[in-house]
Amino acid sequence: MVFHERVFCGQVSESDVGQSLLLAGWVDAFRDHGGLLFIHLRDRSGILQVVFSPEVAPPEVCTLAATLRTEFCIAVRGTLVQRQAGTENPNIETGTIELMVKELTVLTESDTLPFTISEKAMVASATAVTDTVSEDTRLQYRYLDLRRPSMRDHLTMRHRIFQCVRRFLDERGFLEIETPVLTASTPEGARDYLVPSRVHPKTFYALPQSPQIFKQLLMVGGLERYFQLARCFRDEDLRPNRQPEFTQLDIEASFIDEEFLYEMIEELTVRLFAIGGITLPRPFPRMTYAEAMDTTGSDKPDLRFGLRFVDVTDVFTQTRYAIFRQILQRGGCIKGLNIKGQSEKLSKNVLQNEYAKEIAPSFGAKGMTWMRAENGKLESNIVQFFSEQELDELRRRFKVEDGDVLIMIADSSARVVASALGNLRLHLANRLGLIPPDTFCPLWVTDFPLFEPTDEGGVTSTHHPFTAPHRTDFDPSNVDELLSLRSRAYDLIVNGEELGGGSIRIHNRAVQRKIFAALGLSDEDVQTRFGFFLRAFDFGAPPHGGLALGMDRLVSMILQTPSIREVIAFPKNRSAACPLTGAPSTVKREQLAELSLLDLGGGGSAALPGAEAQEDRIDRISWVSRIGINEQERPVMEAVLAQAETLAGQAAAHAGTEAPIRSVAPVSNRTRPGTEAQRSPLAETGQVFKNAPAVKGAYFKVASVLE
Amino acid sequence: MSPIYRFENPDPASALPDGPLHGMRVALQSTVSVAGWPTDADSAALTDFTALEDATVVQRLRQAGAALTGLTRASEFGFGLHGSQAGEAVRNDVADAELVLDMMGECRVAAARAGAFGLLPSVGLVSRLGLIGLIPSMERCGLLARSCDTLSTLLAALAGPDGRDLTLEEAPLPSLAPLPKDGHGVTLGVIPQALEGLPAAQAEGFRAALDRLAAAGVTVRELPLPEYNLFDLVHAIVGAVEASSCAGRYDSVRYGHRPPGAKDWNEMYLSARGAAFGTCVKSFLVQGAFFQFERYAAYENACRIRARLVAAVQQLMPQVDALALPLADRVPEGATATLAETRAPFASTLLASVTGQPALALPAAGAYGALQLVGSRLGDARLLALGGMLAALCREGK
Repeated sequence: MVFHERVFCGQVSESDVGQSLLLAGWVDAFRDHGGLLFIHLRDRSGILQVVFSPEVAPPEVCTLAATLRTEFCIAVRGTLVQRQAGTENPNIETGTIELMVKELTVLTESDTLPFTISEKAMVASATAVTDTVSEDTRLQYRYLDLRRPSMRDHLTMRHRIFQCVRRFLDERGFLEIETPVLTASTPEGARDYLVPSRVHPKTFYALPQSPQIFKQLLMVGGLERYFQLARCFRDEDLRPNRQPEFTQLDIEASFIDEEFLYEMIEELTVRLFAIGGITLPRPFPRMTYAEAMDTTGSDKPDLRFGLRFVDVTDVFTQTRYAIFRQILQRGGCIKGLNIKGQSEKLSKNVLQNEYAKEIAPSFGAKGMTWMRAENGKLESNIVQFFSEQELDELRRRFKVEDGDVLIMIADSSARVVASALGNLRLHLANRLGLIPPDTFCPLWVTDFPLFEPTDEGGVTSTHHPFTAPHRTDFDPSNVDELLSLRSRAYDLIVNGEELGGGSIRIHNRAVQRKIFAALGLSDEDVQTRFGFFLRAFDFGAPPHGGLALGMDRLVSMILQTPSIREVIAFPKNRSAACPLTGAPSTVKREQLAELSLLDLGGGGSAALPGAEAQEDRIDRISWVSRIGINEQERPVMEAVLAQAETLAGQAAAHAGTEAPIRSVAPVSNRTRPGTEAQRSPLAETGQVFKNAPAVKGAYFKVASVLE
Repeated sequence: MSPIYRFENPDPASALPDGPLHGMRVALQSTVSVAGWPTDADSAALTDFTALEDATVVQRLRQAGAALTGLTRASEFGFGLHGSQAGEAVRNDVADAELVLDMMGECRVAAARAGAFGLLPSVGLVSRLGLIGLIPSMERCGLLARSCDTLSTLLAALAGPDGRDLTLEEAPLPSLAPLPKDGHGVTLGVIPQALEGLPAAQAEGFRAALDRLAAAGVTVRELPLPEYNLFDLVHAIVGAVEASSCAGRYDSVRYGHRPPGAKDWNEMYLSARGAAFGTCVKSFLVQGAFFQFERYAAYENACRIRARLVAAVQQLMPQVDALALPLADRVPEGATATLAETRAPFASTLLASVTGQPALALPAAGAYGALQLVGSRLGDARLLALGGMLAALCREGK
């Protein structure tokens, strides 16, 4: 087969009618009309219907065509014709034309598929099969999943977005420079992935959590403007929309300030979203961290809807309501929000039994106060405890009209108020449908605190210790002053999701030393952890700053996919594993030996990776079965495990070839017809909780599920 | 405090409805749920647990007019007989019958120990809803009484479909085929491999009983079953895996105790479950977890062997009226034992546990040792009739 004449399915058009064409691709779908065979031929560019008709194709071609099945890889030659009126297919772009085949080559056959790939119906009325395949099956056969036009479109768009990034930054004078993947452990927040070195036994490389150190060194190196689409690695606990490796657009520039970055990143972001047909308004609004926390309880506020917090602490300074009074006596605060015109959806029952009793406590609040505005009055279960003056002031502060619902959280900790009310804000917006679809609200959050308090009474960096402070005349031993410092860091937020962030860095040795002193690091600590990096700042480092954007999340947001895995060709699943390759997997003992990993413990008897140790086995079984085994029981358990090993050996020796049975009786009656799930009367009466060690509301108190 | 009962019904005989069991005093092992009673299966995992509902068998006992005397002491989860008082209520005539969970032969050996009859019904005959056990594919509600007639009456009242136990057969019990009046025309099968390695007294008692039956006209046929010793292997592996799965419910969420001070849920599970199980049951669960998580092939292989054994025994059954197997009639003293010690008395009872067939324990009579008859699955009624007849022949031979 010679392919140089090949044309693409999606690129033929009515202007090619009458031509003889060679096409190649996969059988997307087929329909057999008794001798007349229609096939949707799919390649990367699209789909074209090809027709095997006994009037056009030789008999042997028709015979061969009858053997075609979905996803056979084929090449066909034939004449492009206009479809007959009434047989057009609006589902595909080439729906008015078709190829009358004269020659057919089956390039390779396909096994039966684990799931349907075709997404385009062959006739006008039919709809495509909806995707009901489990994600792990899709990931196990990712190469088939990628054949689906929607996955192809996602990766195509990802490519366009990445190309746009490169063109844009190239225009702005940025150089794309690669930094190493095998590197030393860096001071980011998360756990490192480690790579053992064979050449230097018992030492490890770390995979970068970000190229932070190197990009700053590139600035010291005088490259001035750098970017990289960098692969980063973080060994974090599993979360639904996270990947252990991810791609970030890493940017750093010298002799710049915040405004330079805001302007450039806004322009870039606008262009990237435009690729997905989304228009972002410029300039992006800015909000300080303090304002974001005060009005939304979040450092990444979702501004697609209102529901801003109102501080009403001062309204209740003289209140008779004991709960509020006690909270205020302990220096607490009271904040609330007005849910405009939603009193019909938020009945007394919903507010009291769902929100006040269940939902608000699940967000950490001890209670929740609600009021509904009706007939010019505020109604609630506790309204009688408040004075007319207080109620009037609430009406004024919240600009209350009939039909509005107020909710308030009071707590002695401002942090609890912000967090609980912030979560309620999102919960209510989702539940009440207050979030407008297809709306994108970008936002810069600025002026983060430079430090956070630690449990030990000290401070720790909110971002990393190289972030520049707003002012440098602080006393590194005054914790209160340290906690009041703001940083020159900024986050880019869209719709309540953090797309990226960065900061202006410290380039001055003295300032950097003050920061380390504030963190309580000794000179020795600093030398061991950051010595090589700090040394670079002894040689005339330029002022610089930068930012990193999470590209997987950005692409996912632009394409509006349900998860970032939809925009990554070969992602890990939710358990950070790869169903396709089986990674992560065990390795041979010899490999560990070669890497000198078998005797890392030094004594030779310590529990080691891959080493079979008796104590290990008991700990392992104890852990997987969640049965504690104490020291006295250990010898017994060792003996029964040894016996179990023997039993396993005997079972293998006598296994035979019969099909295994789990039950000796026929299992035909497992599900009897006519039985429906129903609520047990014991649950109705609450009796079911009689033996429960802990109950939460009308539920057993159970472990929350970790993804 | 009663040495037999861990809970005694203060008023067993009040307001009993008329029925086939009217007035029959029935004791229940503490593995059988009775609403409002401390059905704790003698396990620390269920300390202070009060059953919310009657087991289906308890409902049926009540409807048939039985007088429930109380809950008898069991070993932990009824597994094995160490520390168990199963059979003692009947032996001491404080009950006419007892329900005893049978996971590897507990009801049968307890019956022999008490000089009573014990029936392990066929799999699928008697509802297991409300029984607290560890080995679902093998465990059954065993019946223990002083005569086969009592067992027949009890079985008739308890057996039959239960909308809440979908593992039951829907068809009614097969009818009782007529039996000869004496031993002539009855054939028993003996598996020679089942006699290997038995304690000498037990083997002698078994042979003496068979000789007596042969003298009374019963035909005794040797039926070799070369893989007989694998029943123990299958029970050890399949039983352990099922127990490990089953015991997952003892997680101190819906019931059980939650030790204070656990930092997180995992720590809570580890300490709660660590304290919930005694050493013997824990050994069994640890083996089960080992097979589940580290040697899953062993479980698959055991299920294959089980398929082969079930088929092999099925091939033997048409040649005989029942299989005759020996039966231990004592359990070493002591409230606790290792897993191996706990399982030791049950070498001869595992066959029926593994294959799902009914088995009947006949008590020792005079010089003749205790005996176990194994019938075809769902041939329980015929097995009881045969057992009654053979027991009479043994007694007459005194």
